[in-house]
Amino acid sequence: MIEYRNVTKSYGGKQVVKNLNLTIADGEFVVLIGPSGCGKTTTLKMLNRLIEMDSGEILINGKNVAEYNPEKLRRNIGYVIQQIGLFPNMTVEENICVVPKLLKWDKERMHKRVLELLELVGMTYEESGKKYPNEMSGGQQQRIGVLRALAAEPPIILMDEPFGALDPITRDSLQDEVKQLQKRLGITTIFVTHDMNEAIKMADRIVFMSGGEILQADTPEEMLRAPANDTVREFMGKHVAKTRMDDPALHCGDVMKKKVLTAESSKKTLECLELMSAREVDSLVVVDSARKYLGIVTIEALRERGEAGRPITELLDTSAPTVQVDEPAQQAFGKLLASKALNYVIVLDEQQRVVGIITRTSMSKALASVVWGVKK
Amino acid sequence: MTFQHFWDTYALMLGKAILTHLGYVFVAVSCGTVVAIILGVLLTRLPKMSKFIMPVLSVFQTIPGIVFIGILFIYIGMVPKTVLIALSIYAVFPVLKNTYAGIINVEDKYREAARGCGMSSWQIMFRVELPLAMPTIMTGIRMATVYTVSWAVLAAMIGQGGLGEFIYRGLGTNNNTLIIIGAIPAAIMAVLLGHGIDRLQKAVTPRGMRKED
Amino acid sequence: MPWNRVWEHLFLVLAGSGFTIIFGLALGITAYLCPKISKAILWSVDVLQTIPSLATLGILMVLFGGGKTTVIVGMVLYSLLPIVRNTHTALNGVSPAVKEAAIGMGMSRLYRLVFVEFPVAFPIIFTGIRISAVTSISVAVFGTFVGGGGLGDTLYRGIYIQNMKLILFGTAALMVMAILMDSLLNVVEKRLFKHSMK
Repeated sequence: MIEYRNVTKSYGGKQVVKNLNLTIADGEFVVLIGPSGCGKTTTLKMLNRLIEMDSGEILINGKNVAEYNPEKLRRNIGYVIQQIGLFPNMTVEENICVVPKLLKWDKERMHKRVLELLELVGMTYEESGKKYPNEMSGGQQQRIGVLRALAAEPPIILMDEPFGALDPITRDSLQDEVKQLQKRLGITTIFVTHDMNEAIKMADRIVFMSGGEILQADTPEEMLRAPANDTVREFMGKHVAKTRMDDPALHCGDVMKKKVLTAESSKKTLECLELMSAREVDSLVVVDSARKYLGIVTIEALRERGEAGRPITELLDTSAPTVQVDEPAQQAFGKLLASKALNYVIVLDEQQRVVGIITRTSMSKALASVVWGVKK
Repeated sequence: MTFQHFWDTYALMLGKAILTHLGYVFVAVSCGTVVAIILGVLLTRLPKMSKFIMPVLSVFQTIPGIVFIGILFIYIGMVPKTVLIALSIYAVFPVLKNTYAGIINVEDKYREAARGCGMSSWQIMFRVELPLAMPTIMTGIRMATVYTVSWAVLAAMIGQGGLGEFIYRGLGTNNNTLIIIGAIPAAIMAVLLGHGIDRLQKAVTPRGMRKED
Repeated sequence: MPWNRVWEHLFLVLAGSGFTIIFGLALGITAYLCPKISKAILWSVDVLQTIPSLATLGILMVLFGGGKTTVIVGMVLYSLLPIVRNTHTALNGVSPAVKEAAIGMGMSRLYRLVFVEFPVAFPIIFTGIRISAVTSISVAVFGTFVGGGGLGDTLYRGIYIQNMKLILFGTAALMVMAILMDSLLNVVEKRLFKHSMK
């Protein structure tokens, strides 16, 4: 068990961590998240004393970290950094063995451990053991970075934005791998990130920090359901698809389709007919040159009243349902059900410009994401 | 002059001169390197002092080796020790400068990773910083070696042998043969030693740190 | 104090550097234009710098006899490397986009080299010139052995007659000369770089 008790740290008079209290259970995966400068990395690094706290104490299984020799302490806490930092003068095997070597393991044990670890991430010794870091991709390097941290079987591992420099696909698969490893080995993990998606994916518990304080510490589910305040909500809003229809935070803009087939009011009837048949739609949204909403024109109106060469403004139907982009999505849902003639609602911004439409399909997708958690 | 005559006259002298010259270079570069690496490491631990010391050292490096030999000659006299000390001092500068620069330029991420792994400051020095600085240090050693071969020629100026003896005497007596006998082996020695250190550097640089060229 | 030796030394340095710049640029540009022989050129100037200066001067003396010509030729041979190498590297380092733009505008090979590539590469080339000029100050010291005069004479005489003052004067003069030359060219270099960064 790890306990932060009234931990404070200042740099040049500015408090970056304010009287922080946090208890982390054995085997727990805790993600520290928050805007940059919120003190999350400082909080992480005070645990292995890469940064010394000003006051308070951090206990590991009841023993204050200040009582340990810092080097010995760090050898028992795995550490992974964003810049990977594999030693370029050492092979993969030597890199993995850095800490075991400091702990004076015998050669046989070290070699066995290397084989074991490489197998954990689906690599073979023959293929990778003698390679140097610069002969591997960034993702492979960070895999080894994680193995280096795990090598001496530490009960705790610290990760400081470990996947921040990787491409999205590699990041995704490493997140999965690390999460699985962590679960299987039962290692207490503290993980710093500023990516809410990553936090939700990895964490048993998310600790949201801002201005050196913990604003909320909860399971991802609880965090999503009930953000403690606006700061948290706003931060999550940026990163996570909103998932509740009755949540006033879910707006029309969140569920709309952004691709809208529009026609400028200067267009003539035949052009519009051509456009509709080309895209296989039965109505067009008509806008002026500034994309301001004027109305719609339906294929029926064109057929019944249209004369070749006449401007479409004569056929404009202005009764179509519209919503504002920041209105609750429920509004659109209601209007969509009420409208018989049209199967979509037009979404406008403050300047009455067309920014999207909500169709029955986009509505059901949003609903599905709530019911089954399917991502948009 | 026939080749036979030439050989009889100079072979032994030349052999001895080459060995003396090599001896000067080897001793000076070894001593200079050891001192330079120790000083270089210490300087990286004293960043504030180094700010002043490094520029001063650069200035000292511009002093020609002849000055060291000259001054020491006045104090110590016409003995091999004079040459060895002067050349060692001269060999210190390039190695010291490169050791310092090599260590300072090690990227911080490696230091942080090493600290995070629980290495002590000395362990970081020996396992991470020095190995990563090694290519730069080797470049310094190469410079020191080539310079030393060059300046060791001046040992003859105070009668301490080496290949300079031929050049020096040749210049003094306008004897072109003597000049060539000294100059060519000295040139070859410098090129070979430089080349040898290049090879050594490639051999000792781990594959992971070799730059593609 | 032998001030005339200082001027003599300065003359050697300036003359040597002048020729070094001319030949260095020519060789560097040749190496850039003819990649086939670039390796041979770079290797040769590298070897020239590796050979002990006194050995070079000795061999040159056999060819040219004693005097300032020999010293200046020796200095040129010894100080070529930084200029040749930097010219070659810098010209090769000009970004392909710039080169392509120049080609796209229909510039001839020579025009491109003179008005586009060379100016872009110049700050780095100038660094080579600075290093070369400062190096030549200490190479000129060897001039005394082939009758070239300069501060080498002062030092040699100081050692010969065991006059510490003379040695220190010579040394100080050399150091001041090196520092002044270096700082002066450094200022120019910084300006060049500042300009090229914009």
